[in-house]
Amino acid sequence: MTPDANLLTSLYHLVAKGRVLESLLGKLPGFHPGVGEEGVVVGAFFGLKDSDYIAPHYRGALLAAHMRGADLRRLIAGVLGKVTSYSRGRVRGDICLPLQFNTLGMFSGVLGNPLNISTGIALAASLDEKQGVVVTSFGEGTSNLGAFHESLNLAACLALPIVYICQNNGYAMSTRTDYALKCTSIADRAQGYGMPGIRVEGNDVVAMHQAVQSAVARARAGEGPTLIDAVTYRISGHYSADPNDYQPKDERASWLKKDPLLLLKARLTAQGVMTDAQLAEIEKAAEAEITEAIAQAQADPDPGLEVLGPDDLYSPVLERVA
Amino acid sequence: MSQLTFQEAVIQGISEEMERDERIFHLGQDIGPIYNGAMHSAKGLGAKFGPRRIIQTPISESAMVGAGIGAALAGRRPIVQLMFAEFLGLGLTPLACDAAAMWYKSDGKVSVPLVIRVLYGAGPHRGHSEDYQAWVASVPGIKVAMPSTPRDAKGLMKAALRDNNPVVFFEHMALYHGARQEVPEDDYVVPLGAAEIKSEGSDVTIVATALMAQQSLKAAEQLRGEGISAEVVDPRSIVPMDVETVRRSVAKTRRLVVVSESWKTGDPLSDLTASIAEELAGEAPLKIARVGLQNTPRPFAMPLVRAAMPNVQTITEAVRRITESN
Ligand SMILES: Cc1ncc(C[n+]2csc(CCOP(=O)(O)OP(=O)(O)O)c2C)c(N)n1
Repeated sequence: MTPDANLLTSLYHLVAKGRVLESLLGKLPGFHPGVGEEGVVVGAFFGLKDSDYIAPHYRGALLAAHMRGADLRRLIAGVLGKVTSYSRGRVRGDICLPLQFNTLGMFSGVLGNPLNISTGIALAASLDEKQGVVVTSFGEGTSNLGAFHESLNLAACLALPIVYICQNNGYAMSTRTDYALKCTSIADRAQGYGMPGIRVEGNDVVAMHQAVQSAVARARAGEGPTLIDAVTYRISGHYSADPNDYQPKDERASWLKKDPLLLLKARLTAQGVMTDAQLAEIEKAAEAEITEAIAQAQADPDPGLEVLGPDDLYSPVLERVA
Repeated sequence: MSQLTFQEAVIQGISEEMERDERIFHLGQDIGPIYNGAMHSAKGLGAKFGPRRIIQTPISESAMVGAGIGAALAGRRPIVQLMFAEFLGLGLTPLACDAAAMWYKSDGKVSVPLVIRVLYGAGPHRGHSEDYQAWVASVPGIKVAMPSTPRDAKGLMKAALRDNNPVVFFEHMALYHGARQEVPEDDYVVPLGAAEIKSEGSDVTIVATALMAQQSLKAAEQLRGEGISAEVVDPRSIVPMDVETVRRSVAKTRRLVVVSESWKTGDPLSDLTASIAEELAGEAPLKIARVGLQNTPRPFAMPLVRAAMPNVQTITEAVRRITESN
């Protein structure tokens, strides 16, 4: 299926924005940027219904939440722990996202929990019978956790409407995928759970989007879960201060040629959808918007001690207990 | 009113709430109509509510807890049975690290109405007695119920199912198919965080939950014959802990014995003891004794099991120890 100009343009806006976001946030201390992985993020979460849920991998999480409608300035305020963030500074906003956008983040630093929890959201969706789906992503390192196995097996047993996307960027911190996973592709693991496993060039945002959308259609039709191995590359370090000097030079150089932003731009110009000048214009606008959002968030105040609690530890009892 | 066992009362509570609230469903291993749950802990539920509400899972405790959390986030009110408290550790990361924190960390936007059921306790089952209650009780944001009677079990289960927070519900195996009690059929609940004085007294306060509350009542009976008037307070939930009821009792008796089937190290009742000491020590002499499981893994042979944990004799001895001298 050849994508139409509108789809390509929409995807480009998001990938370009993602690139600026990841690059600029990557300058903040302790941030885990996803430069080079924007194609996976955009392809995974574009084209869903508002009522669907997503649970994005922490790397690229802000872009995903923004795609769901969350405000950039408030998201960035969350990274900085500002009172203007969605949690008023109670949760680390680089990995935890506002659920009011049907977007689940990490309420702790424990990888794997979102796999379990998003599977439960899919269980609720299947009980609701409103054809809602869940799309969740995670790193290939995370796919070695028991939570991955238990979640995929449970989802397969109950035929849950969920799409599992492995954002396979070649590294878990410094640990290479070929060291820690002894299957050719994470998609191979799907066979063990009796679900389709699909390997996709994650840096081809169009291919990514199409693969996810057919898995979503399958889930919506009640046919159960799919596992997608979205192959990409971590151009950034693991986090801001990581010198990232352990990636072999030739490997890195070959992946830089497959940068998702470059691939998409080439496609847009080759198909005559946009000129170089138009592309540059969009990038400039994204840069201006995000620079402004960061500046505003930085200027926002820290939370006052009224945010501390502790009297609101519990959600009030729903129904009056007689 | 009908005469119910602990197990029947828990199931009646679940059944009534499931009829009342369509959002409640139950996940667990072997909880369907074929097996009816370990120790018949889900007896009749599968036949009554069918496989869309009594959902059997593979052996995947971490995913079961996670799935319960996720379904709760999406508007359901799940019950997840982990069969035995021994398996709590497998589900602890999603429960303790994520679910417990969600309401606070989301600044009051995300709540997790989830009940985790676990069987535990030394008794008829020749294993799986460990409760690991401290693991869940030590993390802010999780509530923990430990009922001692059929009536409390039903009322607390109903409260747990109406609560908007994760609740771990402990079901003691020695009480499970034991003594029957009159259990009301009307819509009563026993609130989480409300202790009950199970037996009034003036010389000493004994605090205990579940099987130990029953043992403490027997000890109190025996002590009465010796002229010692013991007040037995059952917190019924260890989180939230009704410190106030205990404080009032100890303010009167000035003597506190806490009895736990768990290890004294890290025992939630030790926290209670510290709170009471903080509040009452210094006003007048205050005597405290703790009785708990010996600080080793649980032994297997029945005489060793019995000797390792508190019983009527060790409870009465502890009471005498702090009452004799004055
Ligand atoms: C359960 C758990 N173990 C270890 C860590 C520490 N840790 C944080 S990120 C990371 C690498 C994760 O790799 P992957 O899932 O491939 O995602 P990536 O960072 O490559 O995007 C590790 C080991 C953690 N947060 N949680």
